[in-house]
Amino acid sequence: MAPSSSQIWPIGGGKGGTGKSFFTGSLGILLAKLGRRTLLIDLDLGAANLHTIIGVSHPEKSLSDFIRKKAASLEETIVPTSIPNLSLISGAMNALDIANLAHEQKAKILRNITKLPYDCILLDLGAGTSFNTIDFFLLSDSGIFLTAPEPTSIENIYRLIRSVYFRKIRQVLKTHAFQSLAEEAQQQNEKATVSNPDLLLAMMKELDPEKGAFLEKTLAAFSFKLAVNQFRKQDNPNLGELVCRIVQKHLALKIDFIGNVAFDDRVHNAVCKTTPFLTLYPYTQTALDLRECCSRLLSEEAASSAAQRIAE
Amino acid sequence: MKNPRQQTYYEKLEVPHDASPLEIRRAYKKLFELYQDESLASYSFFSEEDRKEILSDIEEAYLTLINTESRMSYDDGLIALGRLPEEKSYRDAAKEPVPIYHLQKKTMGVASSGRRKEELQTLASRTPAVREILSRDALTGADLEKLRAALEVPLEEIAESTNIRIDILRAMEGGDPATLPPAVYLKGFVKSYARCLALDEHAVAEKYMKGTGKNE
Ligand SMILES: Nc1ncnc2c1ncn2[C@@H]1O[C@H](COP(=O)(O)OP(=O)(O)O)[C@@H](O)[C@H]1O
Ligand SMILES: [Mg+2]
Repeated sequence: MAPSSSQIWPIGGGKGGTGKSFFTGSLGILLAKLGRRTLLIDLDLGAANLHTIIGVSHPEKSLSDFIRKKAASLEETIVPTSIPNLSLISGAMNALDIANLAHEQKAKILRNITKLPYDCILLDLGAGTSFNTIDFFLLSDSGIFLTAPEPTSIENIYRLIRSVYFRKIRQVLKTHAFQSLAEEAQQQNEKATVSNPDLLLAMMKELDPEKGAFLEKTLAAFSFKLAVNQFRKQDNPNLGELVCRIVQKHLALKIDFIGNVAFDDRVHNAVCKTTPFLTLYPYTQTALDLRECCSRLLSEEAASSAAQRIAE
Repeated sequence: MKNPRQQTYYEKLEVPHDASPLEIRRAYKKLFELYQDESLASYSFFSEEDRKEILSDIEEAYLTLINTESRMSYDDGLIALGRLPEEKSYRDAAKEPVPIYHLQKKTMGVASSGRRKEELQTLASRTPAVREILSRDALTGADLEKLRAALEVPLEEIAESTNIRIDILRAMEGGDPATLPPAVYLKGFVKSYARCLALDEHAVAEKYMKGTGKNE
């Protein structure tokens, strides 16, 4: 797939109700206000509600028009919002679950997303770890995980991170004729499988330093982000950092914590009024936290793209 | 997930070879926070078994490096394996500032310094779980462990300052009863344990003996 000229940020994780749509919509509004041409895509097919969060009551068009070929191009399904620089591809009116999207349909959407002319594209992925969800997540190296500070939500985050990791390794093994090398590694050490990536990587590097280094480089290109939503006073403010530490240490993946977003009852009010929370309550702690997340996201991004340029 | 190459204790604790005892203690506390039973961040990542193994690995590294003597002999091993340049070892750094180490050791002991004691007492009074446990009239080993976890005191600290063996401390917290000392000693041990947490040692010991049925 040709690299996209836009910055793509998939947002996933947690359970339904964690606040992925709220976070995605709010982040989109903030990026648009900073002057970036921003597109939000609601891929939580079946439970699409991103439009409501950003104040669009009844989107006229949606992704299903493209899937059903009512729209000739993905671009045709874009609807404007009342916020300058912010557009939306809605997932509403879609009876389909993303997990059931046929391979062809998925490939077509993936291909076309990368061609859209925007500065930033945010993907609201919904919950779940189906292959399709993960393939959308892998459209970018810098996906954002959102979790609530609860055991169940964190468990889901780990499940998603592992799935993303394993799928990436499998992709590399498949597309670069690595399969026989991986098999050889496994023959020498039966534990060297994709579910034991550290060992697999070490074995492959030993057997074929060049290919091993390639796989390592691919995995090192990830630069994930983690945010904690619905944060309450009694919660441990370091939780996000601790989760990132576990992932960095035990999966050797780069992941940076970008902030806690406070719980606020008024989020519910804003959703009920179909008006963005940031518009109604711009001076609350939650709004402040969202802006902080946005600015950390941008500075992390600037730092890692600078690092990449130096490496190349 | 294991690295093919065995990590050194320094790598396990993520400290440099010339780390001071204070740095080692801090590093250990941070890791303990990450892997302890009540850590939200690690409980769903590992199986219970894996997490226990990681914890005991870190404990082993900590106990070896926090003691000057065992640390030096461990360093000698690393130097012999070529994994630690001689000039980088703690021994070198320790040549002059030995007194500082002793000084630090003194002030850092569990609840031995006035300040630490005060901190623990404030923490205890602010933690509802601690107050609730202390209000009971009988305590079990699991209660001791809960108190200690809530007050964030690693078992190793207690072992170090009381000189009670760590497996005995574990047994006191509800582990293998076969390792428990006879009741005559036990009460004294519980008192020392409670003292480390800056709790009322007499009350805790009485309630523990009652709760574990050892006071007849
Ligand atoms: N920071 C927050 N504070 C209070 N409520 C929130 C917050 N974030 C989300 N919510 C509530 O959770 C509900 C679900 O959020 P949503 O973004 O739709 O979750 P998801 O997309 O993860 O399923 C929202 O309707 C809102 O009422
Ligand atoms: Mg949603």
